[in-house]
Amino acid sequence: MEILHIEHLNFTYPGVETPTLRDLSFSVEEGEFIVICGASGCGKTTLLRLLKRELAPHGTLSGEILFAGTPLQQLDDRTAAREVGFVLQNPEHQIATDKVWHELSFGLENLGLPTEVIRRRVAEMASFFGIQEWFRKDTASLSGGQKQMLNLASVMAAQPSVLLLDEPTSQLDPIAAADFIATLRKLNRELGLTILLVEHRLEEVFPIADRVMVMDQGQITLFSPPDKIGRGLAHLPAEHPLLAGLPSAVRIFQALGREDDCPLTVRDGRQFLKQNYSNRIDSLEIPPYRHSEKVALEVREAWFRYRKELPDVVRGASLKVYEGEIFCILGGNGTGKTTLLNLIAGLSKPYRGNIFIRGKKSTDYGGNSLYRKNLALLPQDPQTLFIQETLREDLEELCRLAKFPRSEWEARILRVTQLLGISHKLSSHPYDLSGGEQQKAAIAKMLLLEPKILLMDEPTKGIDAGAKTALAQILQALKKEGITLLIVTHDVEFAAEYADRCALFFDGELLSSDPPSLFFTGNNFYTTAANRISRGIYQNAVTCGDVVRLCRENGVKEAQNEG
Amino acid sequence: MEDQELTLPAPSAGFAFASFHPAALLCYFLGVLLIAMFSLNPGIALISALGGLLFSASLQRPGVFWGSIGYLLPLSLLIAAVNPLFNYNGATPLFHLNGKPYTLESLLYGVLIAVTLIAVFCWFRCYSLILTEDKFLFLFGRILPQISLILTAALRFIPLFQKQYQKVRAAQKGMGIYSAKRFSDRFRAEIRVFSSILVWSLEHAIQTADSMKARGYGSGKRGHFGIFHFTLRDGLLIGMTVLLVAISLVAMGVGALDISFFPAIQPAPPSFLSVISYFCYSFLCFTPFVYEIKEKLKWKFFISSI
Amino acid sequence: MKDKLLGLLPYLCILVLIPGVIAGGVLLFPDRSYAWIALSVAILSFLPLVVRFEQKRRAVQELVVLAVLSALSALSRVMFVWIPSIKPSAAVIIIVAIYLGKEAGFIVGSMTALISNFYFGQGLWTPFQMISWGLVGFLAGILANPLRRHMVLLLIYGFVAGFVYSMVMDLWSVLWMDNALNLSRYFSTVLLSMTVTVKYAISNVIFLIPSWFLGRILGRLQTKYGLFPKKKKACPGN
Repeated sequence: MEILHIEHLNFTYPGVETPTLRDLSFSVEEGEFIVICGASGCGKTTLLRLLKRELAPHGTLSGEILFAGTPLQQLDDRTAAREVGFVLQNPEHQIATDKVWHELSFGLENLGLPTEVIRRRVAEMASFFGIQEWFRKDTASLSGGQKQMLNLASVMAAQPSVLLLDEPTSQLDPIAAADFIATLRKLNRELGLTILLVEHRLEEVFPIADRVMVMDQGQITLFSPPDKIGRGLAHLPAEHPLLAGLPSAVRIFQALGREDDCPLTVRDGRQFLKQNYSNRIDSLEIPPYRHSEKVALEVREAWFRYRKELPDVVRGASLKVYEGEIFCILGGNGTGKTTLLNLIAGLSKPYRGNIFIRGKKSTDYGGNSLYRKNLALLPQDPQTLFIQETLREDLEELCRLAKFPRSEWEARILRVTQLLGISHKLSSHPYDLSGGEQQKAAIAKMLLLEPKILLMDEPTKGIDAGAKTALAQILQALKKEGITLLIVTHDVEFAAEYADRCALFFDGELLSSDPPSLFFTGNNFYTTAANRISRGIYQNAVTCGDVVRLCRENGVKEAQNEG
Repeated sequence: MEDQELTLPAPSAGFAFASFHPAALLCYFLGVLLIAMFSLNPGIALISALGGLLFSASLQRPGVFWGSIGYLLPLSLLIAAVNPLFNYNGATPLFHLNGKPYTLESLLYGVLIAVTLIAVFCWFRCYSLILTEDKFLFLFGRILPQISLILTAALRFIPLFQKQYQKVRAAQKGMGIYSAKRFSDRFRAEIRVFSSILVWSLEHAIQTADSMKARGYGSGKRGHFGIFHFTLRDGLLIGMTVLLVAISLVAMGVGALDISFFPAIQPAPPSFLSVISYFCYSFLCFTPFVYEIKEKLKWKFFISSI
Repeated sequence: MKDKLLGLLPYLCILVLIPGVIAGGVLLFPDRSYAWIALSVAILSFLPLVVRFEQKRRAVQELVVLAVLSALSALSRVMFVWIPSIKPSAAVIIIVAIYLGKEAGFIVGSMTALISNFYFGQGLWTPFQMISWGLVGFLAGILANPLRRHMVLLLIYGFVAGFVYSMVMDLWSVLWMDNALNLSRYFSTVLLSMTVTVKYAISNVIFLIPSWFLGRILGRLQTKYGLFPKKKKACPGN
């Protein structure tokens, strides 16, 4: 049965000339799991919001949206709210109440259900989603993953027949994200729930989708089962932003320009490599990595704990970062990576051991001299930096606080914003910028202080593949300017692609500082998907690009007997 | 000093008396406080002070309890002692100060006020510990849905904003802004942090509103979950409170509990009604303490028999 | 029908409930009759404002924004705890009122009092704080135009508002103790808390100085999201 039917849907935001959505027509069968992807600004979020009446943006709309045969506009308020569930991106800001049980019952109370029904449904949801243990807790005490799970559960309590999700895992760490996706899969398989998921992290969701919709500039360019997507995108050039978000197996397949059904998972990818490509040449020639001789920053045997009675978070960590390097510290959530970064940035002090910034003990920097032409910390959330009404005012304020002469402000601001490609956004409100632009604006603020060392905390969190590529280009540009970059991240793929050296932070210590080709081939689990696909076939392929290069060098296998 | 945090009092689940339905609890506290605050009778004041002291002692760790007494006692002694300085009525001057009499009656009146203050303080302390914010919201959610929504959302936002506060401070410090220790710098830094959180929270409030709308808020009459269930013993508590308070009120209304201090202390003659109402009010005031102790003993017994 | 009844409630409050409650209290508590009258008049005149707020269906965005502002205003008491007896809450309430209207000011004021007392402990002061902070907000909303135009008036208002709560509370406690307005006791109580009150009033003034900045942030709510429209218009959204 068709649960959603969209015909000739056009949508234009007020005050904008070009339509955001152009003539979309498609339908969704009951029980389908559909993934919608596309570069940012392609209209995928707008489409999703139009399908949820309460969240539909204002603007001019034409065409029709039918829900189970009835126009969406003709449903009564209760039915519309009940039948279509919507989970938003940010786990924090969706939570409306202070107690977990109240959050679970909130939607049911809104629908005016009798107390008995509410109690039963709440109990059901708590059991299905494994929430019993934290049922009576404060919502504020939950982790990000738990919060998003609670949001999902409280939407599901209303028993919707369609679930819409707008990048629900973008703010989660990889483990929590995988958990969340597994729950979606369970809802789809066990309850037959229809799911439309907008996502830019596709590695996990691609294999479980029934169909994938690829959108570009307000139009649907592809809408087919995932294993046909690789072929459908064959015409795209390798650097197209859309490709960067696809699962590694699909990217390798697409880059090799194959015509058959594409592999979706690591397992299928391995099969595909073994069947089609030989491994005569089993490793890439990678020139040994040479770093500068000058040490930019050094952590020597640092120990730290937050309070006397608490356990150590950092225990004897040591680290040397050389000038002009891009150094990535990897590690799971809650291992204390951010704490280490705060120690280096001088926001907290180790109780034993020392930190040297450009050869000088960080405690010997007086006043704010540590932060002037020296070191800057880019916080995880760029929004913690903005205060003024426009980006220009914000940057000017920083110029004033840094005591630059008034005459230089304009030139300084132009220089950094042009470097980052946001000079056309100077008169926008910082919060009206996209996620990627906000981050660029934050980096611009840091660069105004002319740091020699830039520390970054999870810079890839919540930004899509296109913005990640742009970020990587910025990092390269900064490196060229002689800035040392120390990045803390759990984005393995990003580190593999762009780091000069990586280290693993575990149990308060830093392990194995090596260039990525060495670092990741040494790990079995904590490594990139491309490395897992090519493990045992190729020696040192870490990124999709590495695998593709090796495949091309080896060439396609002759058709085999059993083939 | 740097990291002040707002934390709500620990959940009241550990207290036996807290297991009553919020409506019953509110009724109980209002009843006790009404009599304690508006009667002017030494017996009633003593009973409520004693009941309140015992109850709040059973709810708090000894250190906390004695700490609050240590601050309350000198204050009430002072109030009692200075009362004759403002009120010169009374037939028995003890001595004269600046030509004004310091009378026994006025001093005793001051003692009565002090005892009542101790009682009111203790009962409000118990109220805070027992009727926590979730119960309050439960009680007013139905009658004042919009205000309750504001309240519950605000309680949800406070810890969120506190976290953001820490983050913004760290971010600003990481840029080396206002890191000097001067007062004016620190003041301006806090204003910056405050406005940053204001911008941020208002911007994200729209998302919270979206998520509420998406879950059907405003689609019509609301239902009610109710994690608290009204049972027979809640009815009994309400019935008991109403009955005992009513008896005391009747006694007050007919003047059986009256006492006049000036010019000389002259209590109403003891009557059947006054004795009954002392008895009733004592029963009302000591119930929670006895209940709390009884349940504690029960647990001791349980544990020792396991 | 029900709405009509609710609409009558304020009048019912004033005409029936207030006299009834007062008379009953005076009969039952002759020794504390003034305190009783003052408390019940305060609470019963506060109720119609609450009812009026509830009656009007509001856009959910506005409710959430009010929650945000109440939470922030309560939280601001902790942010500045390092300067003794300096609290920006009243300033925040006044700023909210002059930019978003009297009802927003009233709700943020009384909710700030209620919420912060959940953290610092409820007491007899809670209703007084709720009422006086609510009224400070409500009045600032009524006087929004002059207050916004003249900084001096705003600062004076903030300074005066700093006294309201403690004067009212002191007045009531004197009424309660003596069942009469004992002026000598009242003045000495007021004098006793004078240093704290003056500091508090001065802090209101200090925190009102950057008000244009906070007002600009609140203004974005009106321009970008169309919330709290200045002229009486139907609520957008919802």
